[in-house]
Amino acid sequence: MAESATAPGPPARVGRRRVVPAEEAIEKRREDQTEVLGRRAVELSRFYGGKVETVPKVPVRSMHDFSLWYTPGVAKVSRAIADDPDLAFELTGRWNTVAIATDGSRVLGLGDIGPVAALPVMEGKALLFKFLGGVDAFPVPIRASTPGEFMAAVEAISPAFGGINLEDIASPKCFAILEELTKRLDIPVWHDDQLGTAAATVAGLLNALALTGRSVKDTRTVLLGAGAANLVAARILISLGHDPHRLTLVDQKGILHAERDDVDELSVRNPWKYRLALKTDGGGRTGDVARAVEGADVLVAASTPVPGTVRPEHVRAMARDPIVFALANPVPEIWPEVARGAGAAVVATGRSDFPNQVNNSLIFPAVFRGVLDARARSITDEIVIAAARELARGAERRGLDAHHILPTMEESEVFPEVAAAVADATVRGGLARRKLSHNEFLDHARTLMARPTRLVRTLARAHLTRPMPRGAIGRRRAT
Amino acid sequence: MTPDEPASHPAESPSPSAPAAPIHLRAAVAGDIPALVPLLLRLKRLNEEFDPLLKVRDDADAQARQVLRAQIADPKAVVLAAEGIGADKDKVVGFVRALVRERPFYAPEHEGVILDIYLLPLYRRRGVGEYLLREVSLALKARGAGVVTAEFPAQNEIAARFYAKRGFRPITAIHARSL
Repeated sequence: MAESATAPGPPARVGRRRVVPAEEAIEKRREDQTEVLGRRAVELSRFYGGKVETVPKVPVRSMHDFSLWYTPGVAKVSRAIADDPDLAFELTGRWNTVAIATDGSRVLGLGDIGPVAALPVMEGKALLFKFLGGVDAFPVPIRASTPGEFMAAVEAISPAFGGINLEDIASPKCFAILEELTKRLDIPVWHDDQLGTAAATVAGLLNALALTGRSVKDTRTVLLGAGAANLVAARILISLGHDPHRLTLVDQKGILHAERDDVDELSVRNPWKYRLALKTDGGGRTGDVARAVEGADVLVAASTPVPGTVRPEHVRAMARDPIVFALANPVPEIWPEVARGAGAAVVATGRSDFPNQVNNSLIFPAVFRGVLDARARSITDEIVIAAARELARGAERRGLDAHHILPTMEESEVFPEVAAAVADATVRGGLARRKLSHNEFLDHARTLMARPTRLVRTLARAHLTRPMPRGAIGRRRAT
Repeated sequence: MTPDEPASHPAESPSPSAPAAPIHLRAAVAGDIPALVPLLLRLKRLNEEFDPLLKVRDDADAQARQVLRAQIADPKAVVLAAEGIGADKDKVVGFVRALVRERPFYAPEHEGVILDIYLLPLYRRRGVGEYLLREVSLALKARGAGVVTAEFPAQNEIAARFYAKRGFRPITAIHARSL
């Protein structure tokens, strides 16, 4: 189900026609680029036959060593775990192994393409997990016709894993699945579209608020789009002290409030949205997006990838020095220069080619590094908040300005810090199987997160990964 | 997994004995009809969510007005209007609709049937539903009912739980198929 919002009034097509020629050129160039990258990706996928493989992490001097790694020696290891199941986190790779589980119901912008077609995306995510977080992640697309079936499958395979990463599952069933699996399993369960995006958004917001001299408590915020990310962002902002009555969620039907016509329907179909409708009651407002943004300090749009969804007059109607996050991908709801032209003091998007990229990859590798290092039993909002706060501090350490409210992916020194903050929060929350000091967690994270870069380079140098074949593009970026 | 609470069947308040519900309950009068119709339609549209055979008719609005007018005047029917207090004073925030039906073959011979209970979302989870149920039961008893029943969509599990908690159990099942 598409969970998105469009500005009321003129339909999206009109918004598109309003785009000035320079922006049309940008859009065209981007479309061409995407096409070229796509062709190249197919070519390379065929050449390499996938993106990840398993590699031994023990020496094998001769076949005799298998009496240690395998039978008969291994029996004793199994018996130890049978006596104390938590030993699986010490005696096997479980401590560092994650399943990337999907039902393929909402893959990227492609929609419900099913589990097999989701596999390339899950492989890509596994590569990111390894490269950025030092985490061994397995793509696990699951053929399931109901959420119940999906959850049963994840539960059934969970003994192999130290964590579950839910990926590309449609909203609102992703809420039920995350909530229920978190209850059932004694390992962390994460859904990036909910928690990752929300954490990165909140991190950016904390710094944007600081930059413009605001505090969460006194801020009036509009969340445009009531999908997975914004519903969780709302929940987290409220836990951080945001007044629910100064928080306005807007979707296709306008401001979400307790007496909106569809609110009873939501109580059945999307109880998470329903709860926020009651809690925020439209931030004291009813009506459309234009009414929502009047005097607002913050606008976070996570809705429809159409420029013009947020219009300059919306930004102009906001409070002084407004903060605008336009997070739709690949095309933001309003182009950053347009938002700034209308007076926005701080602008963030989901794209890497503009400053202030709100990017899940700033969060999920570090969160998993942290919870895995603490052998966590679960992930809570407190842990998510710890990650967001530490990410915000990371940007602050390099100096905040309107173009730097979040670290870039290159500021990699931040990520072990986020991991350690996450591990600390896990210990504080009583969810850690392994309790180390902050510095120990930090050391572990630094070591484990630095290793994959060396590993990839070493494999390439030794010609164990084949050099990238020449193609139309990609020659320049061969690593 | 389940909604906090269905529109028609507010969950128990934290302390079920809490007497002061944040509403004022009174018998509905004809003048309430314009305020009651939208609430009744909200409830019927919610029921539509549970089963396609509960699809709301295009003329439901006119029907609602007519049914309410008839039942408010009918001494065998009970229509109670819940008004808010404070800022919502004089605003109808919920209602109950019930009637007394004769049972020719069973005893007790008069059955009080709760057809609708609806509360605006912000009035839920505060013990109001419980209070409405108690008051409508008393009103039905006063009209001679020896048993009280409630009708709601079979798929509405939360309604089923709401009534089960208050001593109700299923006695008749209505099964349907399209023709």
